[in-house]
Amino acid sequence: MADPIHQFQIQKVIDLPDVSLPVLGVVDLAITNSHIAMTAAFVVIVGFLAAVTSNAQVVPGRLQAAGEGLFGLIDNLADSIIGHEGRKYFPFVFTLFILILGMNILGLFLTFTATSQLAITVTFALITFGLVLVVGFAKNGLGFFKLFWPMGAPLALRPVVGLIEFVSFLLRPVTLALRLFGNMLGGHVALKIFAGFVVSLGLLGLGGGVGLLAFPVAALSLGMVVALTALEFLVAFLQAFVFAVLACIYLNDVVNLDHAH
Amino acid sequence: MASTHTNDALPASVEADLHAETATAAEHGSGGLPQFQFEHWAGQIGYLLILFVILYVLVSKVFAPRLRKVMDERADTISNAVATARQVQAEAAEQAAQAQAEVAKARADARAMAAAAKARVTEDANARQAAEEAVVNDRIAEAETAIGKTRDAAMANVATIASDAAAAMVERLTGKAATSAELATAKGAA
Amino acid sequence: MDAEAAKYIGAGLATLGMIGSALGVGNIFGQFLAGALRNPSAAAGQVGNLFVGAALAEALGILAFVLGILMIFG
Repeated sequence: MADPIHQFQIQKVIDLPDVSLPVLGVVDLAITNSHIAMTAAFVVIVGFLAAVTSNAQVVPGRLQAAGEGLFGLIDNLADSIIGHEGRKYFPFVFTLFILILGMNILGLFLTFTATSQLAITVTFALITFGLVLVVGFAKNGLGFFKLFWPMGAPLALRPVVGLIEFVSFLLRPVTLALRLFGNMLGGHVALKIFAGFVVSLGLLGLGGGVGLLAFPVAALSLGMVVALTALEFLVAFLQAFVFAVLACIYLNDVVNLDHAH
Repeated sequence: MASTHTNDALPASVEADLHAETATAAEHGSGGLPQFQFEHWAGQIGYLLILFVILYVLVSKVFAPRLRKVMDERADTISNAVATARQVQAEAAEQAAQAQAEVAKARADARAMAAAAKARVTEDANARQAAEEAVVNDRIAEAETAIGKTRDAAMANVATIASDAAAAMVERLTGKAATSAELATAKGAA
Repeated sequence: MDAEAAKYIGAGLATLGMIGSALGVGNIFGQFLAGALRNPSAAAGQVGNLFVGAALAEALGILAFVLGILMIFG
């Protein structure tokens, strides 16, 4: 059976010379298949948004309705979770959402999924986490640490609950990154395994004799691949949506710190 | 089915493929998941950050304002249309009320005219009736006075006739003429 | 026992954690359905919360799955 992990292998397409940066050390600038997948997603997204907005009509066509649907989805999300300041953070959440969505969905068409690379999901998570920290300190100053001081808890329990809050706060980027990474990894591994079954069982069936029994199982595997692909489209959208929702919730924690606690 | 033939021919390429697969698998199998080959991280992260920033700027400066403008325009158009419709509706309601008022006024006029005509007719009729009645009453009164006169005359005649009759009866019964005083008492007693 | 065999057993044990996540996700959708049948008019507004809750519960199962994958291939 084909190796289900092979699809995640980074391959250099154009090898550029390494550069050594002062802090990061030696950085490999090579254009890899991951870069190509990211670029493809970026180009598709920009093309889509440009097509939606360049000739925007008051009465929308199909394409514009689709674009406005995504736009309105995130707009409502930011408004309902963050409140009246949500509009300020809308471009960030929308960029996050549509970039992840584009990479997830293109991963189902291309041979390489950018969001199944831990490096990519960690970057998304750290961007979100970093923005939460920046906004938190910029808006509240040192009052930001009130986030870890639960006013609702009894006084004796507050240090304990605060510690738990602090640890869970630090774990946010980890879970953000791992959720997206794990979903994409798991989905594509499962797809590849079932697709591999089709080939290997088909070969077994071609041997004739008792091996003919393998054909129905191969057909079953093929059906499974189709069903899983449909599921993966749902997951691709859902994970992007969940990432956006969680980014909104985390931003709301620090934007409306005084009202919430 | 020539199983030996297909066995030789078809899977040969696939087998080679499988060998290639296992070869690559062995190649990176020792390094674990490809995602944990950290030498590829910096390039991907840097590139993603660049893309993210470009897309963020595009969304916040171009796409979001454009779409928001269109959506605001649409909201304006819809609210304008609703306002216009509401205004037209109000106008129509006003006109309907006006028409209704006119109808009511016309009806009231007609009713008043009918009432006036009826009153006039009744008055005429009453007046005529009163006049007729007066004439009739006059005649009745005339007739009554005539009847009264006749009766008085008759009554006056009756007294003389009665005293005459009484004098005649007394004369026949007693053989002598009754005096007029006796006659008067008898007549009064009678 | 062979170290290779122990690796596979460990991976299998790690993925048992997905049972809990499956129970959690099933519970979320079941409760949502129960609530939605009781008050269908309020259901539409809670779909976002539903999916966020499901994703949060699912993340833990995914963690277990990633650990299992790491044990086999790591």
